[in-house]
Amino acid sequence: MEAGSQLGVRQISGFKDFYQSVNQTRVIAGRDLLSSTGFEMSKEGARRVFVVTDQVIRETGLVDRVVAGVEDGGLEVAGVFDDVPQDSSTDVCDRCGEEAKAAGADSFLAVGGGSVMDTAKIADSLFTHGGTAAESEGFYLMPRAGDSLAPLPIAPLVCIPTTCGTGSEVSMGAVVKDPERKVKLEIADFPLFPRLAILDPESTRTLPPRIAAATGMDAMTHAIEGYVSLECNPHQDGRSLVALRLIRDNLERAVQTPEDDDARGQMLIAASLAITISLGSTHSMSHPCGARFGVPHGVANAINLPHVIRFNAEGGSDIADRYRDINELFGLETGGSDAEAGDALATHVSSMVERLGLPSRLSEVGVPEVGIPLLVEGAMGDGLTLLNPREPTEQDYEELFRRAM
Amino acid sequence: MPYFKDADEVYEFIGQLFADLAEDDDLGPKFRKANTIVQYQYTNPESQITVKMLDGEEGQVDLGESELEPEVVMSMEADTAHRFWLGKVNVTVALARGQMKAKGPVAKILKLVPLVKPVFPRYREMLEAKDRNDLLEA
Repeated sequence: MEAGSQLGVRQISGFKDFYQSVNQTRVIAGRDLLSSTGFEMSKEGARRVFVVTDQVIRETGLVDRVVAGVEDGGLEVAGVFDDVPQDSSTDVCDRCGEEAKAAGADSFLAVGGGSVMDTAKIADSLFTHGGTAAESEGFYLMPRAGDSLAPLPIAPLVCIPTTCGTGSEVSMGAVVKDPERKVKLEIADFPLFPRLAILDPESTRTLPPRIAAATGMDAMTHAIEGYVSLECNPHQDGRSLVALRLIRDNLERAVQTPEDDDARGQMLIAASLAITISLGSTHSMSHPCGARFGVPHGVANAINLPHVIRFNAEGGSDIADRYRDINELFGLETGGSDAEAGDALATHVSSMVERLGLPSRLSEVGVPEVGIPLLVEGAMGDGLTLLNPREPTEQDYEELFRRAM
Repeated sequence: MPYFKDADEVYEFIGQLFADLAEDDDLGPKFRKANTIVQYQYTNPESQITVKMLDGEEGQVDLGESELEPEVVMSMEADTAHRFWLGKVNVTVALARGQMKAKGPVAKILKLVPLVKPVFPRYREMLEAKDRNDLLEA
């Protein structure tokens, strides 16, 4: 058989024709790490650090402690940009990049959740290479060295996540809203891998339980979708399954007992293991929920995930077997028909969502039934639909959104 | 040996498919929502197809030289394009492997891929109707 001759055929198991696994971010995890932020950043070549965060985090005093840690390592803080909204957008990235330039920074430090880290990534790219965020959309499209395929680096970027879900601190992806087109704009390329991620539960201590729950469900969705994606692979399998074990043992503890540093630390690790850009239809559905109706990403994933699991499990035994692996990890039924295997996991996810106190229907979070055609259009037009193991049609998405209502 | 012997064969099959899509009552308007101009540059044999998909305008497909200014340029072997229309190429993998190369906002093209899946059987039917069963085994 010619190499790559079955690229279009679903290949969930066995030795694949092709896959790519990339991890370029140095990770340090543990306690009392914030005080050594400057020491760690100096290893990445930083001297004048531009801090990106949001006002809520700044008010908790966390940024002050991080800034002290930067200065303690002999580095200067060139400026602090604390204007990142909950759901960041292209104009915020543009402004952040310009302010970093005006401040004479040479490196970025993101202290926050997914919105803050993704803003810092794109702002760093604009700071380094120029242009606007809206022009940066696409995969593997960042500037290259001349005619070569080697991407040009961006200024050193270090991330301190304050939520346990997005995984942006170790990924090469960034997603922000394009307010003009009302879509989520996705950018992915190797230079966007942060140089360093600092995982310290102290940074999540003020995270409200509801956000800990939503972001934890985001991590769980990454782990499950990454495990059954069309581009699943043994490297990601290992990360997804370990992440799911950590989530199984720590998510509810981390939500119910915010001062439980062990649980919150383990959730930080779970999120950094679970992240992948090879996801599926849950994310394709959740992106337009956020772009069109402002539904927080983790909440949208928590609502949509059970419906996509049921849909996918009926797409073939090779898919259902992947869900059976996850069922085994959660101590659920692994036998029965493919549909029953999917239903067992979907029911378990739904009951977790309920115990975490999250909404279980899109209609509870401001999505009107008349919005379904817009959501279907958004989901069909989302690149991650290509990676879902069962190919959804427009009618399938319409039915999935109706069930999620 | 390449599936198509010359550029004319590329235009006869792949070019014709694009032209049919542009005029399709159902798919044409969906493609034009992409609001872009894409140029496909093929090698083995050398050939080029430029497709205008602009919202509110008639579709246009230029075979060979074109005065349209593309926003996205996709380059690949004509064999890869042929296998794509047979439903045998995963675009995201082909991009990662360098079998397809894209310049411009490639996300606009990725968004079209789910829409073109229903066209795959039509391509097969076209090949069968033109007695080119040899191309079905790609």
